[in-house]
Amino acid sequence: MVNAVSCMLGKKVTGPLPLRDEELERIGREIRREINARFGRSLAIRELDAGSDNAAEIEINNLNNAYYDVERFGISFVASPRHADVLLVTGAITCNMAIAAQKTYDAMPSPKFVVAVGDDACDGGIYKGTYAVLGGADAIFPVDLKIPGNPPAPIQILTGLLALMRSAGKRT
Amino acid sequence: MTGKDTGAAATAAQEIFGSGLSGRLAYGSSRECILDVNAEELDRAVPGLAARNFVLSALFATPAYGGEGYVLRYVFSHAGSILVLSRALSGKQAKSIATIFPSATWPERECRDMYGIEFEGAFDTRRLVLHETCPAGFYPLEKSFKNAPVATKKTVPPAEEYPFRTVSGDGVYQVPVGPVHAGIIEPGHFRFSVIGETVFNLEIRLFYTHRGIEKLAEGKDPAACVRVAEAVSGDESAANATGFCMAIERLSGITVPDRAWHIRTVLCESERICSHLGDLSGMLTDVAFALGASHFAVLREEFFREQEKLSGSRFLRGMILPGGISRDIPVETLARYREFLARFAKEFRAGLAIVLSTPSVIDRFTQTGIIRKPLLGPLNITGPVARASGSGRDVRVDSPYGMYDRFIPVPHPLNDGDVLARFTVKAAEVLDSLSLIEKVIAGMPEGPVISADGVGDGAALALVEGPRGENLCWVEIREGRVFRYKVRTASYCNWLAIEHAAPGNIIADFPVINKSLNLSYAGTDL
Repeated sequence: MVNAVSCMLGKKVTGPLPLRDEELERIGREIRREINARFGRSLAIRELDAGSDNAAEIEINNLNNAYYDVERFGISFVASPRHADVLLVTGAITCNMAIAAQKTYDAMPSPKFVVAVGDDACDGGIYKGTYAVLGGADAIFPVDLKIPGNPPAPIQILTGLLALMRSAGKRT
Repeated sequence: MTGKDTGAAATAAQEIFGSGLSGRLAYGSSRECILDVNAEELDRAVPGLAARNFVLSALFATPAYGGEGYVLRYVFSHAGSILVLSRALSGKQAKSIATIFPSATWPERECRDMYGIEFEGAFDTRRLVLHETCPAGFYPLEKSFKNAPVATKKTVPPAEEYPFRTVSGDGVYQVPVGPVHAGIIEPGHFRFSVIGETVFNLEIRLFYTHRGIEKLAEGKDPAACVRVAEAVSGDESAANATGFCMAIERLSGITVPDRAWHIRTVLCESERICSHLGDLSGMLTDVAFALGASHFAVLREEFFREQEKLSGSRFLRGMILPGGISRDIPVETLARYREFLARFAKEFRAGLAIVLSTPSVIDRFTQTGIIRKPLLGPLNITGPVARASGSGRDVRVDSPYGMYDRFIPVPHPLNDGDVLARFTVKAAEVLDSLSLIEKVIAGMPEGPVISADGVGDGAALALVEGPRGENLCWVEIREGRVFRYKVRTASYCNWLAIEHAAPGNIIADFPVINKSLNLSYAGTDL
């Protein structure tokens, strides 16, 4: 009880993050500006693993850790494709995922954007031309942007999203 | 790795076959006993090995090189002692052993999908790896099939949909989840049968991310194929690259320089810490304890950054090669890494103290998703999941490879088998891996980091302890190219534990149970 009270009344101590990445902050501010201007202040992303080796998922998840914390820039990852502006596709499209991937895309409201994350999503990568995959994300959807990498680091994904925002500005 | 195993495997073979064994038992380069058996001998051996508490670690088929037909390889193990029974098939008929060794169920279905081998008496003959859109009569691993796109069906009529086991009764309803889940995670389908809020039955369906890894490896130059091994499962890149390279080194008789093995050990233990940090953070996310989750996520990000400094890749890719490693790590980089580890240890312990003194977390973790010890052997469950349910199995201790005979991990087994036990075991393993890395760096010799010896032809088995448990790989090189690469990750076996851990819990606890097992979809689906 005493502990709880002292927690409430006591001085709050927070420390600065040991790494403040100015490059990240700059990209973040620009993304924020673009999202404010074109997406009504929030960009909703639905992630879709269409046959990834899970490394790209880990990096996309990392965008939410305290170092990047991309929600402060107006980016949120949503559970339903019906809430999404952007489909972030990882992995080559496997034959086993093709139907589910198509349903996910179809469930998104227009206008919608597709971003391929990682070499395999960009063009099939090491799986190109094999029996188990249809190819990169563009084998089944129109793709607006490709972010190569094995996997791309969080900052590269964010830079890619900024490029998408800018090209979306030209499209609309 | 030479010398004859006089352990449980040789004794069991001797007892089962008696005088019929005379001179037939061979020894592989991983000290495993190898015995070629016919159908009748296999029938005799299987119950005999079950009675002696052997587990079926893997079962896979390989095409007979330079001949017709296939060889089925049954890898049995007991306390680190391994017996491989090879059964040559002239046709495509074999006998199921799944009623005696349940861990044969998936491998038998897999052999059927990939080669068309039928297992007489199998109780589950549904497709496993290839889903409904895949044409009938297509067997991707047959050597006559040259890897190329196949015509798949665009839609699946309801009559051809995958038949899940049906559970019926008063008030039982189905909750289908996936393959596309609500978070940023890999795809898979969970079919819950629920009464009220309580899970009554769970059936999983995977292989949505089947990328044809094993076929992709075939015909590749061994060094170029490491890239494929690293793609088995992103967060186990170093473990799978190590297993693949170890098999090649063993079949070729290559001795890896000491410094290279030291560095590999640093990489693999670093990868284990990174993986466990993700699990600890994820478990806390799933019980809505954001403070702890954020703490471990921050530490994990720092680990990824350190891994990039060590290897040039946040996922430690491109470092491990057959014969050693691709480039040395400078002394000053290793020194800075050690300084980071010291800082990390302090922060990690601080985070752990916060979590373990938070009653709401302990309450959610305790008695949730229990995996009982008698399940471990029949399903071949390994890794931290097994060690939280009373198992002592750890490849690094049972069959030491690389540096692990000099730098010995200290197991921290617990018996409760619930989410709390898995959390605690993983936290203890983070600290243990830290101390291993410290010792390995401190004892690191100077010298070359790659052997000049070339890769030869042959086949070998290799077992490594990945972050999730025992990863087994079998590599066959013919004419200097990969002829067969079989990898069986810990996840492939551990996945079935979830069907036993979930029932009796409420659906709302499923995410934390799932996260506490941290199973790789990619590493299972291949």
